[in-house]
Amino acid sequence: MIELTGITKVLKGQSEPRTILDGVDLWVGAGQSVAIVGRSGSGKSTLLSVIGLFDRPDQGRYVLAGQDISRVPERRAATLRSSHFGFVFQRFFLLKHLTAAQNVAMALVNGQGWLPRRERRVRVMEALDQVGIAHLAKNRPAKMSGGEQQRVAIARALVRDPQVLLADEPTGALDTETGTLVIDALLGATERGCALILVTHDRDHANRMGRIHDLVDGVLSERVRA
Amino acid sequence: MRRLSGRFRSSLIIGVQGIRARKLRTLLSMVSLFLGVLAVVVVQAGASIAERALLADLELTFGYDGTRMIGMPTEQKAADAVLASVKGSSSAVASIGMQGIIGEPGVRPVNEGGSPIDQDWGGSQVCFADGHCEGPTGPKGAAVELRLTALTGDIRQFRPFRTVSGTWLDFTTVPSMAPRLVLNKEAAKGFTRYQVPAEMRVRGASANLTPRFIGVVDDGSGEPRAYVRSDELATWLPPGKLVDPNVGGEINVMLKPGSPVEQVLRAKLKAAGLEMYVTDVNNRKEQEDQLRLMRLLFFSMAGLVLLIGVAGILNVGLATVGERVEEFALRRAVGTPRSLLAGIVLAETLLTGLLTAAAAIGASALALKAVVMLAGNSHPILDNVQFPWQAGVAGILAGLVAGILGGFIPALRAAGIPIATVMRA
Repeated sequence: MIELTGITKVLKGQSEPRTILDGVDLWVGAGQSVAIVGRSGSGKSTLLSVIGLFDRPDQGRYVLAGQDISRVPERRAATLRSSHFGFVFQRFFLLKHLTAAQNVAMALVNGQGWLPRRERRVRVMEALDQVGIAHLAKNRPAKMSGGEQQRVAIARALVRDPQVLLADEPTGALDTETGTLVIDALLGATERGCALILVTHDRDHANRMGRIHDLVDGVLSERVRA
Repeated sequence: MRRLSGRFRSSLIIGVQGIRARKLRTLLSMVSLFLGVLAVVVVQAGASIAERALLADLELTFGYDGTRMIGMPTEQKAADAVLASVKGSSSAVASIGMQGIIGEPGVRPVNEGGSPIDQDWGGSQVCFADGHCEGPTGPKGAAVELRLTALTGDIRQFRPFRTVSGTWLDFTTVPSMAPRLVLNKEAAKGFTRYQVPAEMRVRGASANLTPRFIGVVDDGSGEPRAYVRSDELATWLPPGKLVDPNVGGEINVMLKPGSPVEQVLRAKLKAAGLEMYVTDVNNRKEQEDQLRLMRLLFFSMAGLVLLIGVAGILNVGLATVGERVEEFALRRAVGTPRSLLAGIVLAETLLTGLLTAAAAIGASALALKAVVMLAGNSHPILDNVQFPWQAGVAGILAGLVAGILGGFIPALRAAGIPIATVMRA
């Protein structure tokens, strides 16, 4: 599914260029879950940006579903983000003037093809149902708890049936119990064949993933479990 | 094509959502733009109404655009040829002009020479072929001199006289022995001011006539005039006396384009050894330069006001994009292309521009209706004035242009927001 080989990212524009990712190798297959852990500033979010095509690597090879997309132009990157990826962030980024259903539908009304309103509604309700909050479809974010809002964000990430789910500290703003529910929802997606890459500080959440990778000073290494 | 349609629909849906979410800002944008679009609508409406009024006045005097006007020498042979040619025709009307004096016999009229009632041109001399001339004689008295125009048919199909009071000449009835006259406004002014006996003197008439005034029209002329059926006048004018070359009469024929009368008349006049002069009425073309200059001046002013409105919408647009950085970054993260982000912002400003245009057009139309209702009777220019469709089109175009100009820079800013914004947040 995802194959990174020798990915390097250097932060320029400072007095001395700083290497954020240093020859990262990573392979993630369909339905697998991977946790990436590391201290703040270790490059976790940068790695996620490269995987999610927000940013391009300076060196290395990035293969997605058999295609080399290391130097993909922005227009194609937008199409790939829409068709292959779902994103969940630490902050929920829900638009407060839209209902939960409209927030989820946002990922469907993105200029990448067109779905009739009825079909959009069906897919939105399915996504909300997957994360267990279909009954909140008409609620606006202000009337939902943090956990509910994050689950709306997960539904937004799932509504296009992505092949890869990228989650950047999705439980960072939630209490332990709610965080566990959110991780449950994310792992639920892997059961349907979706790969999950989770960036987290939380050891318990990381331990629930299939594999754990440590990122230290831009170098990624797989942790061997006892 | 399908992709473009999807993007267009997406930008419209998101644009409408954006407007609904920021009603106050949209309202503020509309307020700043309203005056600009209103200025364009008012200028266009004013220009259209002024143009229409200008043309209407010209039509009163010269006839509708496209009318063929035939002039010829003032000779009895010409009059005979004209009367024979236009008889029974619905596509041509002849008018034969002569002087008439209505009022006390044996006195000089108050407006000698048929001058406007408040002016005095002085009496004119009439000179004859044998060389002797006759000037005005006798004391001034209760009489009004006017230009008498004998008509063979309803001239209003060519010159849209506005009825002020009474009725127009009816050409379908049997000719009356007492000729029915329709006065123009200047003549009516004279008869309102001076009480005169109903006796009309026409040079060459077998006797003085007893006219009946049946109506008053606005014919666009500043001189006193009266219109009469030629057959009613002919009862009192012996053959060969309808035209008097000594007093500067006139013979004109107005025709619809393609009227067969023209050929017949040309042949008859040629046979009589007379020439005719044909002109096509084209008021609009003659006034084009004047109208163009007028429009240019007013549109320049309206453009300036619109520019201020554009600056307002631009300002609000930039502030809104600044507030929505995270939203746009998120949209890019879920696969929205940069072009669609620009489209969303442009859709919002375009919709705002169109809403403003609709408001400005509605306000202008209502204001015009109110003005027409309140002042329509006292100002003939406003009589039956409708809101011109050109003003509506100009308003919509102004709204669209303002939307594009005001949204262009915010759209570029929105398209340039980096996705990483959501990662760093």
